[in-house]
Amino acid sequence: MAKIKNRIRRLRFDNNEMTQEELAKRAGCTRQTIIALEQGKYVPSIELAFKIARVFGVSLEEVFQYEE
Amino acid sequence: MAPLQKRALYSLVIGLVLTISLIAVLVIQGDITAFDRDPNVRYVMYAVLIGVPLVYGILCDLTLRKPRQIDERDRLIIEKSSRAQWLAVIFLLVAWTIALTEIYHDEQQVPVAFLTLIFVSALIISPLAQSLGILTGYWRMNRNG
Repeated sequence: MAKIKNRIRRLRFDNNEMTQEELAKRAGCTRQTIIALEQGKYVPSIELAFKIARVFGVSLEEVFQYEE
Repeated sequence: MAPLQKRALYSLVIGLVLTISLIAVLVIQGDITAFDRDPNVRYVMYAVLIGVPLVYGILCDLTLRKPRQIDERDRLIIEKSSRAQWLAVIFLLVAWTIALTEIYHDEQQVPVAFLTLIFVSALIISPLAQSLGILTGYWRMNRNG
């Protein structure tokens, strides 16, 4: 079964322990969505995925990984 | 709790209170003929007819206008909740049709008051079902992803 995993929590930690609220604000979503993403309970749209990657200044693949 | 989730919860509570109040008014007044007898009952119904869509519209508008209150995940849940909304309205109309047909079949006519009651009940059940759909959507998403 295919699954999309992410490193959002790790990247937040690496970026001066950025808060979920701050990431949400900069990515243009709610904190609840960041929580759901970190828990692997929500797969974002391409647009939101790019926005999150842009906040951390990394490529999409460094944030999200597609696993089969 | 997400802002939309909070609003859905408030709407559900308000809707339930409104429903119980309306049922209580009709029960206290006796039966459906109170609608014809007592103008106050009619005015209450008319107030509901105008007030519910107005409040619902304002609440929806306020929620959807604030960009940081709602994001793509919330919009997905709203979209899914509309299914619960129209299903609830359809089932309600089916229930009214069957009930009124069975009760008034011999008389071959239905009291006019039921027109308003059917409309009011559809008006109340619609946002109620949507709120329930939204809350269920969040619950499902948090549970299963």
